[in-house]
Amino acid sequence: MSADTLGTSSAARPGRRWSRGQLARHLVTPAALAVVLLALYLWVSGQELDSIEARVLDAGAIGDATLRHLKLTAIASLLIVAIAMPLGILLTRPRARWITPVALAAANMGQAAPALGVLVIMAMLFSIGQTVAIAALVVTAILPVLRNTIIGIQQVDRSLVEAAFGMGLTPGQVLRKIELPLAVPVMLAGLRTTIVLSVGVATVATFVNAGGLGDIIVAGIKTTRTPILLTGAVLTTVVAFALDWLAGVLEHSVRPRGL
Amino acid sequence: MSESSSTVVSRPAGRRSAPAEGGARIELVALTKRYPGQSEPAVDDVSMDIAAGELVMLLGPSGCGKTTTMKMINRLIEPTSGHVLINGEDVLRLDPAELRRRIGYVIQQIGLFPHLTIAENIGLVPRLLGWKAVTIAARVDELLELVGLDPSAYRGRYPRQLSGGQQQRVGVARALAADPPVMLMDEPFGATDPITREHLQTEFHKLQRELRKTIVFVTHDFDEALRLGDRIAVLRERSVIAQFDTPERILSAPADEYVAGFVGSAAAIRRSGLTTVDDALRHIALAPPGDDSGGLSVSGEDTVRDAIDAMLRNGRDRIHVTDRDGAVLGSLDFTRICELWARAGQPGGRDVG
Repeated sequence: MSADTLGTSSAARPGRRWSRGQLARHLVTPAALAVVLLALYLWVSGQELDSIEARVLDAGAIGDATLRHLKLTAIASLLIVAIAMPLGILLTRPRARWITPVALAAANMGQAAPALGVLVIMAMLFSIGQTVAIAALVVTAILPVLRNTIIGIQQVDRSLVEAAFGMGLTPGQVLRKIELPLAVPVMLAGLRTTIVLSVGVATVATFVNAGGLGDIIVAGIKTTRTPILLTGAVLTTVVAFALDWLAGVLEHSVRPRGL
Repeated sequence: MSESSSTVVSRPAGRRSAPAEGGARIELVALTKRYPGQSEPAVDDVSMDIAAGELVMLLGPSGCGKTTTMKMINRLIEPTSGHVLINGEDVLRLDPAELRRRIGYVIQQIGLFPHLTIAENIGLVPRLLGWKAVTIAARVDELLELVGLDPSAYRGRYPRQLSGGQQQRVGVARALAADPPVMLMDEPFGATDPITREHLQTEFHKLQRELRKTIVFVTHDFDEALRLGDRIAVLRERSVIAQFDTPERILSAPADEYVAGFVGSAAAIRRSGLTTVDDALRHIALAPPGDDSGGLSVSGEDTVRDAIDAMLRNGRDRIHVTDRDGAVLGSLDFTRICELWARAGQPGGRDVG
């Protein structure tokens, strides 16, 4: 008997990863961000800047602050991935499952506690500077990656795991070949949330003298200079959106085909 | 009666006596599974001897422990006590993963991995066993053809691009990938619609006649058990064996009320569906052809049920029996069929011949 007596599979063959529509959708964000930056630049250039404003809104200073901000976010995010992904995987193993609620509760507290509070307490306990700022960022932004790693693995269809064991895969092979690839989309969604969260929280790093775009925002508030405040706030937002966009593209690129 | 369904019920004579090189003998010895905190064992002291190349159906209501019994064979569930021997080797002494690579496993949910192509799904176990890529690719194509899917069209697809019936064929192909002597099948066709299920059963039956794996097949569908099984183990609660016998014997001589409950009311009709005309001719002689058969005829591979059905539908009391070339050998009538039942007591050439 031939297959077509049974099958009514009309699904197309696996398509390209990037269809034209998806490509267009992924280009909307960078275009919009460019427009926003351009508008900000034109508006600030049109202002009569006094000496304070001119000093803070110097291109080199802004560039340094942005790079510092990105560095804080990147280091914190990498640390979070290095800590939370292995931890999340470990917490889904049968022997460790009982600790999962405890670990999630701790991560929840980290996110629920005000970032500024965490930062100040840690600064009082240890010292000021970049290290403390990064540690505070990790505490505050670790939850999404941890939670999504656990959920991503837990949501893998149990019958697939059973089939894999039944075929003779070892527990390690089941994790590497079946559970992790199928959990990747959910895990990356968590990473995306963590990154965006870190960009926002990193603005308070300025209070422990760790720099970043928080410097510009706080300078704007202290000196009641709207152009400064606005520049700092808009840049932070643009960085957040840009990283979210990048993470989205990454998410789309590494999502296993066939899902 | 359609051609495909007559293929389903007809059985080549002497099928059990054929040598079974493809399979391995499985022995369950006093197999018991007790879950902590439960007073009754889930599987209670089950012993069973399954010949190499035999297809045994574990038949019972849901929750009777039939799946638990099956999963103890490949140690997805570890027995509390007792032994499972495959070709005399105690599986409890083997590494579980290595053991399972030598046992094909098909489940109702199919369990194709959605992120792997059909070829990758089928080639997974051979790859774990360290086969060469070329060998694996050839094996994948061979298996796809075996289950009736065109390799060039299907090997590169992903599971979600296939219909349920096609997915289940791939599931069977995947289980056969490393040519395991033993297959475990847990209601493999249970989730498909009745028409697809019958197709799959027919094909699977044909396939098994060629491959002669030793198969333990779990089902709660009595008709499926009759169609496919060389022997059927009817299980009660705790997987206790009520009767372990050929389909014919279970139909003609159910051990007790419980087994009779599965057989139901149409036992004689079901039996006639297991008996081919060729089988019948070993017990009875044909009547002369006569000239009032109205053009009705059956051949040796059709079942007695096909003959009765055709006679009833057309309001005739006799039907011509033809040989392969269509020449009329004689005719079968209701008197002869009654005689067949009376004479054999256990019709179906398998037991007598």
